[in-house]
Amino acid sequence: MFRAAVRLSVSGVRGLTRLQPGCQGALAVRCYSHGKQETDEEFDARWVTYFNKPDIDAWELRKGMNTLIGYDLVPEPKILSAALRACRRLDDLASAIRILEAAKDKSGPHKDIYPYLIQELQPTLDELGIPTPEELGIDKL
Amino acid sequence: MSLPKPVMRGLLGKRLRFHIPLAFAFALVAGGLIKYGVTEPRKRAYAEFYKNYDGVKEFNHMREAGVFQSVRPSGE
Repeated sequence: MFRAAVRLSVSGVRGLTRLQPGCQGALAVRCYSHGKQETDEEFDARWVTYFNKPDIDAWELRKGMNTLIGYDLVPEPKILSAALRACRRLDDLASAIRILEAAKDKSGPHKDIYPYLIQELQPTLDELGIPTPEELGIDKL
Repeated sequence: MSLPKPVMRGLLGKRLRFHIPLAFAFALVAGGLIKYGVTEPRKRAYAEFYKNYDGVKEFNHMREAGVFQSVRPSGE
């Protein structure tokens, strides 16, 4: 029985080490060694399509954002733009501002990401009339 | 002035791939330091102490000091 346990653990370790090469970037895709791995562009396009649904409901917005935030990446400006427009369709300004706060939080210690995001999102923010947390003074504790 | 696009993917993965092996290495080094800096000298000190330890001599020394209840010093 001990020998069986050792054999299982050794194969488990080998399986883990085999996982390393394919699993970079967005861990949205399960790490199968077979099957096509989704490219970054396909991933982004999928999420933009998700938020662009014209009749998206509040649950789907929340679910989408929570899932997106769970990934090891900061969402691309185009995904965030689609999410902000979804908030506009749902008359949800609070979620729109929260999305900006979440993007800043996801950047972690990398302070160059959030200014870039705001720069890219500025047209969308102006069009939809969304203030940033900094403009509202709610970015400080 | 337009900001360039920073890296936005795989940031946690990159951090973990660096820090977890580092933490593993640190733990091994710390374990090694304690083993060879603390436990081995301690084991050697005990071995030295007990190499030529005479229990009977120590017992008689304690007996004469009068610390036992079961046996009084030889004088009394």
